[in-house]
Amino acid sequence: MKARRALHLDPRVRFAALVGPGALFIVLFLLLPLLSIVVFSFWRTESYELIADWNVDNYGSVLGEWIYLKFLLRSLAMAAVVSAICLVYAWPCAYLIAKHGGRYRIVLVLLTAAPFLTGILLRVTAMQQILGPIGLLNMALMELGLPPVEALMYTNIASAVGLVYLWIPFMLLAIYLSLFNFNFELLEVAKVCGAKPWRAFLEVTWPLNWMGTAIGIVLVFIPTFAASVTPRFLGGPDGSMFVNRLEHQFGSAGTWALGSAMGVVMCIASLVVIFLLWRTVRLRRAGYTGAGA
Amino acid sequence: MAAVNPGARFVIGGQTVMLLALYAFLYFPIFYIGYLSVMENNVWPFPPVFTGEWYGRLMIMSDFHVGLLNSVLIGIGTALLSTLFATAAAIGLLRYPVRRRGAIAVLFLAPLFVAQILIGISTLMFNRNVLGIPGNIESAIVANTTYSVSFAFLVILAQLVRYDWRFDEVAQVFGARPFRTFREVTFPNIWPAVLGAFIISFILGFNNFEITFYNVAAIPTLPTIAWGTLRHGIEPELYALATIVNALVFALLFVIYLLIRVGALRLGVPDD
Amino acid sequence: MSDQAILRIEAVEKRFGAVRAVDGVSLEIGSREFFALLGPSGSGKTTLLRIVSGLEAPDRGRVEIGGTDVTALPPYLRRIGMVFQDFLLFPHRTVAENITFPLKMQGRSAVEREEQLDWILGFVRMEGLGDRFPHQLSGGQKQRVALARGLIARPELLLLDEPLANLDRELRKEMEIEVRRYQEELGIPFVYVTHNQEEALTMSDRMAVMHRGGLEQVGPKLEVYNAPATRFVASFVGAPNRLSGRAMQDDGERLLIDWGGIRLVGRAAGSARPGDAVEMFLKSERIALGPAADAAQHENRLEGTVRDIIFKGQFADYIVRADNDVELVVSGPTSVAGVERNARVTLGWPVEAADVFAVEDGEP
Repeated sequence: MKARRALHLDPRVRFAALVGPGALFIVLFLLLPLLSIVVFSFWRTESYELIADWNVDNYGSVLGEWIYLKFLLRSLAMAAVVSAICLVYAWPCAYLIAKHGGRYRIVLVLLTAAPFLTGILLRVTAMQQILGPIGLLNMALMELGLPPVEALMYTNIASAVGLVYLWIPFMLLAIYLSLFNFNFELLEVAKVCGAKPWRAFLEVTWPLNWMGTAIGIVLVFIPTFAASVTPRFLGGPDGSMFVNRLEHQFGSAGTWALGSAMGVVMCIASLVVIFLLWRTVRLRRAGYTGAGA
Repeated sequence: MAAVNPGARFVIGGQTVMLLALYAFLYFPIFYIGYLSVMENNVWPFPPVFTGEWYGRLMIMSDFHVGLLNSVLIGIGTALLSTLFATAAAIGLLRYPVRRRGAIAVLFLAPLFVAQILIGISTLMFNRNVLGIPGNIESAIVANTTYSVSFAFLVILAQLVRYDWRFDEVAQVFGARPFRTFREVTFPNIWPAVLGAFIISFILGFNNFEITFYNVAAIPTLPTIAWGTLRHGIEPELYALATIVNALVFALLFVIYLLIRVGALRLGVPDD
Repeated sequence: MSDQAILRIEAVEKRFGAVRAVDGVSLEIGSREFFALLGPSGSGKTTLLRIVSGLEAPDRGRVEIGGTDVTALPPYLRRIGMVFQDFLLFPHRTVAENITFPLKMQGRSAVEREEQLDWILGFVRMEGLGDRFPHQLSGGQKQRVALARGLIARPELLLLDEPLANLDRELRKEMEIEVRRYQEELGIPFVYVTHNQEEALTMSDRMAVMHRGGLEQVGPKLEVYNAPATRFVASFVGAPNRLSGRAMQDDGERLLIDWGGIRLVGRAAGSARPGDAVEMFLKSERIALGPAADAAQHENRLEGTVRDIIFKGQFADYIVRADNDVELVVSGPTSVAGVERNARVTLGWPVEAADVFAVEDGEP
């Protein structure tokens, strides 16, 4: 009887058995390492070795020296601009697919998501072959006897184009998923109540899909803020970002404690962005019902 | 097709142009790389002169074979772990209405909101300075899994919300024990979602650069080889490599598309 | 009960948070009977059924099936059959595979499964449809497959959870007769959960009325129908007319009440004493209806005006406004001589057609 009783497990036990391993894995191999760099950021490095000598000098450097602060601000600005471009461009596209895509919706969405999966490096390589000095665009202009578009050769603009190219699928996907669960008949209701199309959009569509949109913004902002490959290969001399400085600490410089502090600063900056966006989301007004979401 | 007023038609037209431009923007570079990979002259390949040389050179590059094997290993390891954790978690969350399950769901989605490079450097630091584990394929798999598990979780969750868990109860009432229930009823209904998650996390692990780079030490993988090549000036072999990887990814995505169709059929929904 | 109890429920309790879904229920069900568990949604009847099936564990109490205590047993060790709401046929299995699923779980041989399948397909009149998939079946066919799956292993007990709730009216009528036939021919006890009193009355031998987690009344269906034990049962089982008044005189079995100036007599069903506020529950089909000054012999008589006649096919509902301005519903044949809209009519009904409860006798 005891053995049989054991089979009749409490739902909470079954829940823990199913969810526990994955949750534990994430805590052990994602959260603990992230916490560990918080600790290391208060240490110092000497000849490529971490020394547990508690201090806040690393933060003094990152936040106090213009050389680091400049890169931090540049990275934040780049992420903000790229997120804004992705937002403005992806909304109409996602809307079109969700509302008029019909039975081809899945194909249309998969087509926008597919390039993301081909890998960052290969996509940056491809971008370089289009925008670079011996890229398709420039060579075509030369063939036609026209001057090159210097703005696109190893500049921050080229970086931004590359980042939009890399991350716009995330924005589109987030907005699409929100619109997929949005009841378009509500728009008809608004119109019957006398709202013009743009008014119906502002009063109904936008607020009900703001949460999905905010998630899209975060999903684009974070990787562009932390982009290293794109600015390195498309950005040119003035394109170096905060993350490129950070990588340097973990590479040839070997100043891991300082690098850790930079990582913590990045993390905190990202959290601030998430927090600010989260504050704009009113769950009840976003049509959140508590389940799934 | 109900009557659409001219204003609405204008808006839809504008959106269609934007979407088509987006597809062009996303795919042109990919196809252009494919085109370059079979061109003898890579700088201004017009008119086209075809060659298979770059593929030939790639094939005899010893690094390429090792890198391909390592990337496949990382992909498979990541996919196995991610799918296992994600499937179990999604089932647990949907099946048992335990309180605080929202917080658990957030935990499984949290990695989406952490920059990959942070995952890369923090696991490197943690493994090296706390655990004393050197960089190798296994640590790359573990680090990649912390990221890919979120994608796997999303893919499975998106399809599993449509599964009716009462089927499991039916099976149990008719004498199926929990494991038998899973084998006879649950899995046959949800396998497209599980396989879809496996493929997505395989691709992510296979192609990952920023996490893998910091965790494999000097062991070559396809993305780290590409990085090396890119750093020292592009060689045409990279176009061949990119084209092979792109073709593989698109083939796998086509499988996912088929799975979605099968999955929809299984769950009794005729289309999408 | 003449025969041995196959299902014995003792003081079963189940809470969900602060809600007492099942509140100390005890019940015995005989080995050959068709038992209906009737109650509105949220009354706890489905929870009780899930406790019997093992899908839900009770907080307190015991469940015995065939003399064995199964309280701690998981569903797959209880050897019962069940028919679920919405049928719940496995979408990835054919009709034959769905039906033989219980035999497969019991480890029966393919030959035996085949034999039993042939028998049950004939029994539920589904010959030749074994290779179909569930989505290729009509509602009625799905229902037959669900029943066949519940019955094929000849369980000690078949539980049915609102099985006809999603069928349209015509099909439901047909299936009510069909389900009743299965029970009679196989002699397996059925426990049938429903919120539809008509279904319960059509099919069952005995029934229980459930309300707020407790049993209000258990007994042969006619007894429950004719002599409701509580105010709730009277209101839920077939009495659309509820007349509020005051008790005047009590002569044991009968109670005289004052209904807005009209004197009526009903069965004293509750604890009402003279002077109490009371309600008379009056069955619409027991009211005789005739032209004014009709001399029908009934203890209760009153006059009124026909406000509306609602045609319902084989019968009609007459909405009659009594002289104290309260409306009554009377069910009768579709045409009664001399009765039309705005006509003056006389209503009459016997004492047994009306049950009187004090307002304090629990909530309806």
